[in-house]
Amino acid sequence: MHRFSAKALLACVLAASTSLATGTASAAADTASALPATVKNGTIGFVITHRYWAVHQSPEGKVECPNGYNDGPREQFKQQFPEDGAKRTLMDTQLMREGRQWHPTTAEEPFTFKDAGGKVSYGMNLDGKVKDSDFTSPDGAKGIDNQLYRAIGCISNYRAPEGTIYHFENEFMRRYNNNRFLIELSGVDSLVNDADVTVKSYRGLDNLLTDATGASFIPGGTQRIDNRFGKFVQSTWKGKIVDGVLITEAADVTIPASATFDASAFHVLKGARFQLKLTGERAEGVIAGYTPVDAFIHHLNTSWSTHHQSYGQLSSPSLYRAMHRLADGYPDDKGQMTAISSAMSVQMVQVYVDHPPQTVAEMNGAAPAPVQPSRE
Amino acid sequence: MSLKSTVSIAAVAVVACAAATGAFAQDRYKPPVAELEDYVRDAMPPGISVQHSDVDGPVFVDSRGHTLYTWPLDRLRNGDAGEQKGKPTCDDTKYTENSGLMSPYPPGLILPDLDTRPTCIQVWPALLAPEGAKEVGKWTVVEGPKGRKQWAYDGFAVYTSVLDTKPGTVNGATRREQRGDAPALRKPIGPTPNHPPAFAVKTVATGRLLTNHVGFSIYTWDGDQANKSNCDAKCLKDWAPVQAPQTAQAQGEWGVIERSPGVKQWTYRTHPVYTRVQDRRFRSLEGGDMPGWHNVYTQKNPEPPKEFTVQDSRIGQVLADKNGMTVYVYQCGDDALDQLACDHPSNTQAYRLAICGNGDPALCNRTFAYVPAPANVKINNLIWGTSWINPTTGHAAKPNEPGALHVWTFRDRPIYTHGGDHKPGDANGDAWGEFNGYRNGWKAFWLRDDFLSNAG
Repeated sequence: MHRFSAKALLACVLAASTSLATGTASAAADTASALPATVKNGTIGFVITHRYWAVHQSPEGKVECPNGYNDGPREQFKQQFPEDGAKRTLMDTQLMREGRQWHPTTAEEPFTFKDAGGKVSYGMNLDGKVKDSDFTSPDGAKGIDNQLYRAIGCISNYRAPEGTIYHFENEFMRRYNNNRFLIELSGVDSLVNDADVTVKSYRGLDNLLTDATGASFIPGGTQRIDNRFGKFVQSTWKGKIVDGVLITEAADVTIPASATFDASAFHVLKGARFQLKLTGERAEGVIAGYTPVDAFIHHLNTSWSTHHQSYGQLSSPSLYRAMHRLADGYPDDKGQMTAISSAMSVQMVQVYVDHPPQTVAEMNGAAPAPVQPSRE
Repeated sequence: MSLKSTVSIAAVAVVACAAATGAFAQDRYKPPVAELEDYVRDAMPPGISVQHSDVDGPVFVDSRGHTLYTWPLDRLRNGDAGEQKGKPTCDDTKYTENSGLMSPYPPGLILPDLDTRPTCIQVWPALLAPEGAKEVGKWTVVEGPKGRKQWAYDGFAVYTSVLDTKPGTVNGATRREQRGDAPALRKPIGPTPNHPPAFAVKTVATGRLLTNHVGFSIYTWDGDQANKSNCDAKCLKDWAPVQAPQTAQAQGEWGVIERSPGVKQWTYRTHPVYTRVQDRRFRSLEGGDMPGWHNVYTQKNPEPPKEFTVQDSRIGQVLADKNGMTVYVYQCGDDALDQLACDHPSNTQAYRLAICGNGDPALCNRTFAYVPAPANVKINNLIWGTSWINPTTGHAAKPNEPGALHVWTFRDRPIYTHGGDHKPGDANGDAWGEFNGYRNGWKAFWLRDDFLSNAG
């Protein structure tokens, strides 16, 4: 059970200011309100092309990470098992550490974890309050809730541009179509100001459309919706467009986010909301919400092996402890917070959303009929 | 030639072959499926023959009917493991430390359960070549450790597995395909599938799938007749006949029809064959969703026991237990130079217990629970089975031993459900373990993956 009411959340969201550097909203407000050609029958779709856990960085991290970045598995292993000539067993070393990777606890560990400090962060004011633990956005909005930034801000893997997870999560998101996440806005009368729009999320089935270089994503592509295996991605939000910025209420969402090696992982955001600057061709901004700690760690471990986590000095068990310590939402029966405020910075390009028939019978123009799963 | 007669001829050929080897003719295993895969009858050394298996297609077997394997060199994180052509290394060395071939852990760590750890050659007995053995085709004789002469196939030394105890089992294999950071695996070897060069056969989760030579799935249509295509102009917008060259000749299960003057089309088992215009990925099963259209298998897998179900999950189509909960397989290979498997109840359980329970068997059994099997269950194939397991040790138990569990097995290894799955369609145990579950962990029992390669 969330501790905030939906009404309070909506009030909070609508009052919240855009906290990512997405340009000024007033520029959009000055433009003509005529609908772009990409809005068809009051609908427009966007597909994600860039998605990062929002980490505000100062030069070389000196502001937020004055004591440097965190250690990862290799460094912790050397600290725990120094090269002193002692013979050690696989059970007491590798398997012990791997066991804790998959069954982490909040018990104290012999390693120091470095939270990100500072007062500036991307994100949104999720709870409508301004607290001591909150951040201020780069453009001055108060009450920014992004405790995940405190947890991951000083882990190299999440920092731009060299962080392995920072880079490769996006590389694989673009490469593998099972990661295709798109939204469709309906009821759109204006992309500048519209008091009532509906936003639905889907998994798409198709490649992203790129320019001739293959490196830039261009609008105008088509995405077929995955209505069979992709239903877990489908959520619905009510929202408004204010001065060219889409702001939604909160709803839970699951975002497919597999890495490579045929993994099948996903991100979960509870009470997620969008804050996106819109044009007829692109959307850019933030998806913010509360990430269940266990789901975050599950995604991390099933996507990135200890070897890969080592690339960016990321210790999953240490991060688990830090996330539980910093968690600030969705208390369990004992009052222990289970989720942590977070934000993803995202960029999207416009796509035409193709809603295919949901059954084979529909494809043939017949009445919908149940389709038995194939045992082939 | 009718399908029935083709199968009969193939069966006769197998029996004749077995008789020629003078070996285990009466013990030959026939998978309980409608059609068996045909293969090219290349010459083999005396004592070696071909045996159909449940999911791996036709495999070479020794005079006892035991499946033959090779161990091709494979690139791991920090070096190579396996064997080069002509250079067998599997010997009686008892490795006591890890090799450091996998990252991020250093070499020199003492391996678990050393008192029971076997040597490579104990687990993988070499297929010895008799004095004066004559090389034939791809079969050659190579010299292994301590001067032993053993058979090699395509240059790679050949072994049997101690896990195979009767004709038709392929228990030395653990996965359908090597991927990611899996160990350097031993692989069953078999004859070349008998098909025209325009086609290929690939082992996938549901059988031996027929594709074109590029990798796109082959389909047949119920609207066709035997050796006659009824796919008209409208149909041809979605389905592309696999054209045969003008010089193509019918052979075995393969035929050629002239679908229009001067345009020839391949048939398989009398069915005209097609690819699907909209297929975007290799080995797709999506065309089989279209009414009347079917993927084509040279040999399908035996059906899972009736206690199991098939579920659409968020990751694809998976095998599930009777309650719809996704089923998982465990796979494990250690990091010693001989890359011994650790995924069988006869192996050390230290790796499995670490990942599923942080060393605690009770937690382990909650995280990945064995799938209980009913008593006196009847199974008509060799890939599925049941076993008695001591849930505390993870090793085999005697039947009805106090505390022992009677569990389902696939390829002689227990299968599992995951404690983190709460409803049908969940698949949260997939990729759970070291290196996304490939090195020491669990993968879902995928049946269909519309995006990646988890189902083959």
